[in-house]
Amino acid sequence: MTKREAPVLGATAITPRERTLRHQIEKIEKESGATAIAVALRDFESGLELHYHADRWFHAASTIKVPILLGVFAAIDRGELLPHSRVHVRNRFLSVVENIPFRVESGRDSNSAVHNAIGKMMRVDELAYHMITTSSNLATNLLLGVMGTDAVNETLKELHLDKGIELRRGVEDELAFEKRINNMVTADGLLRILVMLAEGKAFSPGLCRRMMDILHGQEFNQGIPARLPKVARVAHKTGEISTVAHDAGVVYLPKRKPYVLVILTEWDPAVAGRSRTIAAISHTIYEYLTLDPLDE
Amino acid sequence: MSASTRFAENAGLNESPTFPLRVVDGLSLPPDYRKALRPGEEWNDLNGFPRQLPRYFYEIPSWDSAMKVELATHFLLWEFIQVDVREAAPLRTFPRYVPCAITLLAVCLERFREAVGTLVHISANGGYRSPSHRFSKNATPHAWGTAANIYRIGDTYLDNRSAIERFSLIARETLPGIWTRPYGTPTGYAEDHLHLDLGYVLSVPRDVKS
Repeated sequence: MTKREAPVLGATAITPRERTLRHQIEKIEKESGATAIAVALRDFESGLELHYHADRWFHAASTIKVPILLGVFAAIDRGELLPHSRVHVRNRFLSVVENIPFRVESGRDSNSAVHNAIGKMMRVDELAYHMITTSSNLATNLLLGVMGTDAVNETLKELHLDKGIELRRGVEDELAFEKRINNMVTADGLLRILVMLAEGKAFSPGLCRRMMDILHGQEFNQGIPARLPKVARVAHKTGEISTVAHDAGVVYLPKRKPYVLVILTEWDPAVAGRSRTIAAISHTIYEYLTLDPLDE
Repeated sequence: MSASTRFAENAGLNESPTFPLRVVDGLSLPPDYRKALRPGEEWNDLNGFPRQLPRYFYEIPSWDSAMKVELATHFLLWEFIQVDVREAAPLRTFPRYVPCAITLLAVCLERFREAVGTLVHISANGGYRSPSHRFSKNATPHAWGTAANIYRIGDTYLDNRSAIERFSLIARETLPGIWTRPYGTPTGYAEDHLHLDLGYVLSVPRDVKS
């Protein structure tokens, strides 16, 4: 794997229209009841970037599966794995806390396909698909078990994508969660990865396209895509636990270049309206990017 | 001509004209196979005792043949050779090699199947795996072809104490000399499958000259 330049997130002078966009996001944040919101945006059409609390750290929840997907494809790129390499499906993992075994609860995975294959084998590309499209935690831990956390972190480092991403363990490691050993991300960290994927620069364009195809298969669409027009295609990954709800993806619209959008939110467990808030921010940004300023 | 007879003729076999696989001396294999299989070498077990690895193997020419060869009435060869990406690369493509003692394991599992009265499922990585497999840290009978990890019997998943201990008892009552891993999480225990093995058995077929 050759070393590539990480996408540079620039800071340009804020125009009055951009200031308006920031105010709109602030307004949504205040009305939402969220304890924190971060937004990172890169529009390939206009060159516009937005970094709204984008260097604040959040529990990654399932958005950490995007860096793990990157790690899988890095291993494929290096020839260490093949898309059709077979992996033993076993529901037994070791916590980063004292190597104590734990299992992934089948009820926590919305897709039973991986759990149904326990004792058998599944292909790497099948596991990657389930990890992203239905957020299978079992698939995630199996892939991480094959590659190792260190190898994924090494990939992030080689691609200069380690800033804003802290991969420390598999998912559903409750003992680690209790000890506050968590996977963490910033909005800018995820933005950098998605920009590199959207530009087809992480590996060969073909491999990047395959990763984007997997992200396009996302089945949870209550966040970024929810209030976009039907013609919009979104390659994205959601993430939700009791205290956070996120969505990060690339939005493709007809007759314009795509934009990359990351929305991270943190909540008191009792407060509702998470998806609605993410969808509202996504809609606001969509309108901002597609509305002709003269129409305002 | 049956498939098994055709295999036998191709292989130039043997004492048993009905068994279709050719016996090979591991020491005669190409270097990458010898490196992965370590035929006849010593390998220390968990307690530091040296154990001699198998030297003689059955050669499996293709997946198709593995799907056809019966090691016992209800066990086909393919069930014993399912390994994942953690197995050494040369041993994931055909021809593949299994220690000759695999036939003894199959006979034991057939007897076990009769005792439980239903299907016995061997897990991936749970039949033969080489000493180079990433799961093989110390000498494990899996590398002798004499161990099986069973994750399901009939419709019962062996992922809890009750199921594992129940079937472990049946195995020990049915198969004299069989060893089963006790239920539990520490090293040397199992809590998501039933491990049973015959120990470090070496099988040297009669037609082997050396």
